[in-house]
Amino acid sequence: MPETGQASSGSSIRRSTSSSRRKPKKNQIPLGMLVVALMVVVGLVQANREPMLGFYWMMGGIFGFILQKSRFCFTASMRDPCITGSTSVTRAVLIAFAITTIMFTAIKFGYASMGLPVPGMSYVTPISFATAAGGILFGIGMVIAGGCASGTLMRVGEGFFMQILSLFFFVVGSLVGAAHFGWWKEKFIIHGPSVFLPDVFGWVGAVVVQLLIIACLYKAAVLWEEKKIGGTQD
Amino acid sequence: MKAFFDKLGKNETYVKIFKTPFTYLTGAILLSIFQVVSLGVTGDPWGVSGTFANWGAWLYRLVGGSVDRWYYFSSAGAQAVLDRGFLNDPGTMRNLGIIFGALAAVLLASQFKIKKIKSKKQIVAAVLGGFLMGYGARLAYGCNIGALYSAIASLSLSGWAFAVFLFIGSFFGSKLLRKFFM
Amino acid sequence: MAEFTLDCLGEACPVPLMKTEKKLEGLAVGDILIVSIDHSCAMKNIPEWARKQGHNVEIDEVDDGEWEVVIEKTK
Repeated sequence: MPETGQASSGSSIRRSTSSSRRKPKKNQIPLGMLVVALMVVVGLVQANREPMLGFYWMMGGIFGFILQKSRFCFTASMRDPCITGSTSVTRAVLIAFAITTIMFTAIKFGYASMGLPVPGMSYVTPISFATAAGGILFGIGMVIAGGCASGTLMRVGEGFFMQILSLFFFVVGSLVGAAHFGWWKEKFIIHGPSVFLPDVFGWVGAVVVQLLIIACLYKAAVLWEEKKIGGTQD
Repeated sequence: MKAFFDKLGKNETYVKIFKTPFTYLTGAILLSIFQVVSLGVTGDPWGVSGTFANWGAWLYRLVGGSVDRWYYFSSAGAQAVLDRGFLNDPGTMRNLGIIFGALAAVLLASQFKIKKIKSKKQIVAAVLGGFLMGYGARLAYGCNIGALYSAIASLSLSGWAFAVFLFIGSFFGSKLLRKFFM
Repeated sequence: MAEFTLDCLGEACPVPLMKTEKKLEGLAVGDILIVSIDHSCAMKNIPEWARKQGHNVEIDEVDDGEWEVVIEKTK
């Protein structure tokens, strides 16, 4: 019976060969704790120079931890429906959209009703041909590179050399994109509208509309998987 | 000492938190919580790719180039970030943090392994894919986080527009993947 | 009741799953496929996919960051 690293009541699948463990597994927990300790030190050093630096470092660490542990991958959310018909990641991404929307809006509405500048408005950007081109290029890129922006960083941390290469060229591509940005801005972006949904539907209306859209997409994702694979018991 | 860590690694609670993968749903909930923490503390949602343009600018400076006349870096804010440098850039700290957070996660689960590049196909895929992502993200004001996740959660229609085209791109990317990179 | 192996070590997402799907297609009911992987996404998405198809699946962690996904084709 093959021995597993996780608690298991023994294999029920009869296989002729036992699992191919070559050598005793090294316990990496001490190394992991060392990395955490180093991260704390770096965080404190940076925070001492400027508090926000420490905060951003900590947020990164937390995001990286969550992404890796849940294998959360935006690339998979868009790619899997195309390749295997699976929409489990797609649905998780939609849930993330929904929860974050509600919480973000609560904060934004709070600021707005107190007459204060609303946070996060710099992320409301113009919609133009550049959005379309950028989306398509990014979509192609993330699928063939095996990871999106956050996924690439996560996989560098997991030890994938391929993503180190991908990251380097992500940086190069960003620089070239920045070099051309002036052209794109003048030709397309400047003519594009920025649409903040509460301006169109009101605060409550915007959230309701968005959550409805997300709910519809969720249902569509369920149906899609049932059609492609059959059954979505998760 | 070794015995302690071995015992820890088998401890039921430890395994549940640090070894067993989280469900996608757990990931979605936790990411949402910390997105909101980000917005609350920094005044902005999470973003990843904007920092890569700055990394590019610093690298370019190292080889003698200058971005100071570029429209993209012309704003006072952008210049200030570049002047403060790599070690003083919050975005850089966050992106590096993601790398180390993921590293810590795999090590604590004893699942770290170096995965070297296996074939020429992977090299082409990484180079081309990385470049396309970098370029595309600048056009769209962000990546899967900034222009998709954060934008949608910020009730910006641009997030949905980006999502549509991201999906179209993924569709074609999948075809390319099947044909050339499998 | 034949047993097959599939080496997906070092493959990028989602190649392990794509290869597993393809290989499993050509197997007979009752056959066993053992997929070697070292990708954290694959140790989640391959078993998930195989279970949705109705097959018996088990995962063995054979080394740090390396797994064997054992799939018994049931239909």
